[in-house]
Amino acid sequence: MARYRARRVVAGMAAALLITAVAACGNDDAAGGGGTEAASADDGATLTLWTRAATESVSKAYAEKYNATHKNQVKVTAYPNEEYPAKLASAAGAKSLPDLFASDVVFAPQYASQGLWVDVTDRFGALDVKDKVAPAHVKAGTWEGKVYAVPHTIDMSVMLYNKDLYTKAGLDPEKPPTTLKEFAEHARKIDKLGGDVNGTYFGGNCGGCVEFTFWPSVWAAGGGVLDAEGNNAKIDSKEMAEVFALYRSLYDEGVAAPASKDEAGPTWLGALQNGKVGIAPGPSVWLGLIEEKGVKMGVAPIPGPDGGESTFVGGDAIGIGATSTKAGQAWDFLAWTMSDEAQIEVIAKNKGVPTRTDLASNKYSSTDPRVVLINSLMEKGQTPYARNFNASFNDPQSPWLQTVRGALFGDAASSLSTGNADITKSLQQS
Amino acid sequence: MNRSRLGWSVTSGALAILFLFPLLWSGWASFRTGSGFGLENYDRLFTSDNGIRPMHVVNSIVVSALTVGGTLFVATLGGYAFGRFRFPGRDVLFLITLAILMVPYATILIALYVLLGWLGLEDTLIGLSLVLIMFQLPFSIFMMRNSFEAVPRELEESAQMDGCASVGTLVRIMLPAVRPGLITVGLFAFLTSWSEFFAPLILLNSTDKFTTTLAVVNMRTASHGSIDYAALEAGVVFMAVPCLILFAFMQRSYVRGFTSGAIKG
Amino acid sequence: MTTVISPHREQPAAQASRRTVRRPRRRQTRRAWLGIAYASPTAVMVALFFLVPLVLVGWMSLHKWPLLAPPTFNAPENFADIGDNELVRSATWFTVKYTVIITVLLFAVALGLALLVQHRRRGVGFFRTAFFLPMAVGFANASLLFLGLLSDEIGPISDLLRAVGLVDGYVSWTSGSAHSALGSAIVLVLWRFAGFNMLILLTGLQAIPPEIYEAARVDGASRWQTFRRITLPLLRPTIALVLTLMVTGSLLAFDQFWILTRGGPDNSTTSLVMVIYREAFIRLDLGSAAGISVVLLVVLIVFNVIQLGVLRRRSN
Repeated sequence: MARYRARRVVAGMAAALLITAVAACGNDDAAGGGGTEAASADDGATLTLWTRAATESVSKAYAEKYNATHKNQVKVTAYPNEEYPAKLASAAGAKSLPDLFASDVVFAPQYASQGLWVDVTDRFGALDVKDKVAPAHVKAGTWEGKVYAVPHTIDMSVMLYNKDLYTKAGLDPEKPPTTLKEFAEHARKIDKLGGDVNGTYFGGNCGGCVEFTFWPSVWAAGGGVLDAEGNNAKIDSKEMAEVFALYRSLYDEGVAAPASKDEAGPTWLGALQNGKVGIAPGPSVWLGLIEEKGVKMGVAPIPGPDGGESTFVGGDAIGIGATSTKAGQAWDFLAWTMSDEAQIEVIAKNKGVPTRTDLASNKYSSTDPRVVLINSLMEKGQTPYARNFNASFNDPQSPWLQTVRGALFGDAASSLSTGNADITKSLQQS
Repeated sequence: MNRSRLGWSVTSGALAILFLFPLLWSGWASFRTGSGFGLENYDRLFTSDNGIRPMHVVNSIVVSALTVGGTLFVATLGGYAFGRFRFPGRDVLFLITLAILMVPYATILIALYVLLGWLGLEDTLIGLSLVLIMFQLPFSIFMMRNSFEAVPRELEESAQMDGCASVGTLVRIMLPAVRPGLITVGLFAFLTSWSEFFAPLILLNSTDKFTTTLAVVNMRTASHGSIDYAALEAGVVFMAVPCLILFAFMQRSYVRGFTSGAIKG
Repeated sequence: MTTVISPHREQPAAQASRRTVRRPRRRQTRRAWLGIAYASPTAVMVALFFLVPLVLVGWMSLHKWPLLAPPTFNAPENFADIGDNELVRSATWFTVKYTVIITVLLFAVALGLALLVQHRRRGVGFFRTAFFLPMAVGFANASLLFLGLLSDEIGPISDLLRAVGLVDGYVSWTSGSAHSALGSAIVLVLWRFAGFNMLILLTGLQAIPPEIYEAARVDGASRWQTFRRITLPLLRPTIALVLTLMVTGSLLAFDQFWILTRGGPDNSTTSLVMVIYREAFIRLDLGSAAGISVVLLVVLIVFNVIQLGVLRRRSN
């Protein structure tokens, strides 16, 4: 009897396995390629949009405005930043992605290569604003010549400096540094104020933070970090070495706050908000958040060691989920987000950076020259492109973080060279 | 004699303070605001854009209730079967159930997601509860099996001789005898499901189904580069309070639950 | 086969015994069916929600399994690549080291606490509750609690140590150094699980008949001798259970490192399950993640089987 029972159980399991395998193996044609396009794309559909917690307020602002003026309704769900990739991967593995989902723009090549978004090359090509939409983001969402994602939010890195501390240290608060070496000098001067004041601050235990704030200096000096396809790293270049050496000396001299070494990201903003840091590179969106705490801030582009300026054009990209059945309606929303109305009334009004390069100065931005400055940086900046970006650079277990730690706190020369090899290996891993 | 009693009291007392300290501190920190004490952190916890909403709490309650109920149902019947009956496949099934402890979440979560999809249970509180029940089974069935084994056979026999059908025996005689075990199992099922994070994260999609833990973690990571520690502690305290109350309430029963199911090898 | 005959009731017992002797197999079959019926919800839950996904994972470990595209058979590549994976190697080493440390420390603390509160004295209920109370906080929440507790921003630990002069300047417990990061995780786990294991050991202690202790006292055995020769051996099955739970739990550790240290600093506290998570959700290589999971599962099964075997032999 036991054997009979066992046989039934095994048969049941085999059936279940077979069905699972078939379901998993089956090519999902529900990916609304473009075949079934409703005559009117605004037909009252409910669209699900996933985003990460850091981007939630912007996504919701877009959705609210769209919902008020369209029949389609967009529902936004936000997930914790660190666990968001796991959420996306699980949904994809189960073939039930939402209608729309946004992601950190540096992850876009990976998701595009995995086919998690619908191919929108034709749809995007039909837009008349297609050349005026953040080109770095569009490139990030492109895989093998096809466009899969469009820009959603822009977050760029800039030099943020404390005007009060500048005045106190005898520096001109209207003359921020124009070279990285000058930045170091200013930081040293401010650090001399003593007490618990520090010249600068950085995220020494956070790969994402360092790439966001250091790479613009490398680009401004004409160096590169990755090759165009994102298969080879160039982080052992002399420009990168020079930038690392500069920050390292600031740390060794105590000009950079000691807490920088352990900063993994969560307390980065807080450190700047307490008004005791002279000048530091950071996200442009923090300008308002720091000023809220009563600190008078100035903004400057991130320079290279001897001049030039650049920025890391970060933020989120967004696309249509590959398993969605409402691609037409979802595109209606996406196209709308790139319109004048959305960019001016939703983004610019809330002090964000428009994704449209031709709207960099608009009626809201012109009230604050710093915002105009930030917006104008978009065309001078870059968004790195690599399929395996997350595993190679952002993840806490990535070879990039190890390289950073070695370059800043350990044996710099060997860290950069072995790091470059490790990162390249990781970039090419299939 | 007195000196050793004093030594014991001092040692135990010191250790107790050490163990209670983190919880006490957390409670204290959750009320601390920039300038003294107040409910500011709790206010932020509940009213900020992605803070805790009543529906999150309701969802958590529903999931916990389903998990506790389901676990008690499956584990009681299962524990009775393993502890009192002999049937082919019994030991194998028991060992496989225990093996659930040996598999980490990350491994089977995607497969579970797919599975729930087919059962039509994806993004449902019921589906989530079923998964949580499954993870509770090793401990719960082990506990109930031991509890049932410890019941004197005479009790069961006399009930059957009095003509009780099996289910009757179970409900009227056995259940009361294993009450401490039931309470322990129920309590643990509640504790785990109430504060569960990863399973709801992966298996739930709509914000209106989110549980409280998800809301708390979401709130923590809301703005890139800043952790709201005070609100975080408020969230921890808020989540811990129902558990602590339940604990204090059932304190004696669950200790007995452990003792009654005297652990055999 | 033969049912236990209650000594209290003579007449009905005789009848019962005649009844059962006449049809022992029928009754046994009926009881077996009943047992199966009662065990069926368990069987369904386990088969559906555990075995099916597990088999799927095994299947996945033999394929290159992209998220949306069809999978391609590639065994034994997923397993072979584990050897090349530097991160797996360091994570394995760390996880084993962590398991040994935690098992020794947690066992010592739990046993110590259990010995402390085993006798009925005034206030012992309060102490037992105090030690067990940390279990009231979910593990994820407990990790978040400690994150705040050990932080420099609002945590009292750094301030306390600075006031006493043991530490000066800024210090980060969870990411300052490999040792402090590991230490933070260990303290968290000890705090949270000592009470639970204490209770298990307590029940084992209380199952030892006091007469044995009496006899030992009469024979003039010292406290230490009693402990070594009587308590420990009789406690063996309980100790085995506790050790199994600790070892299994430690080898599968994830939450504490994910929340407290993020595997850092410099990958010094990256556990195996973190690597599985990374393979599946960051590298999007489900086949590789499945492969590592299968290996881990086999190791755990082997360990538990060995441990069970050792225990059984010792008991005999």
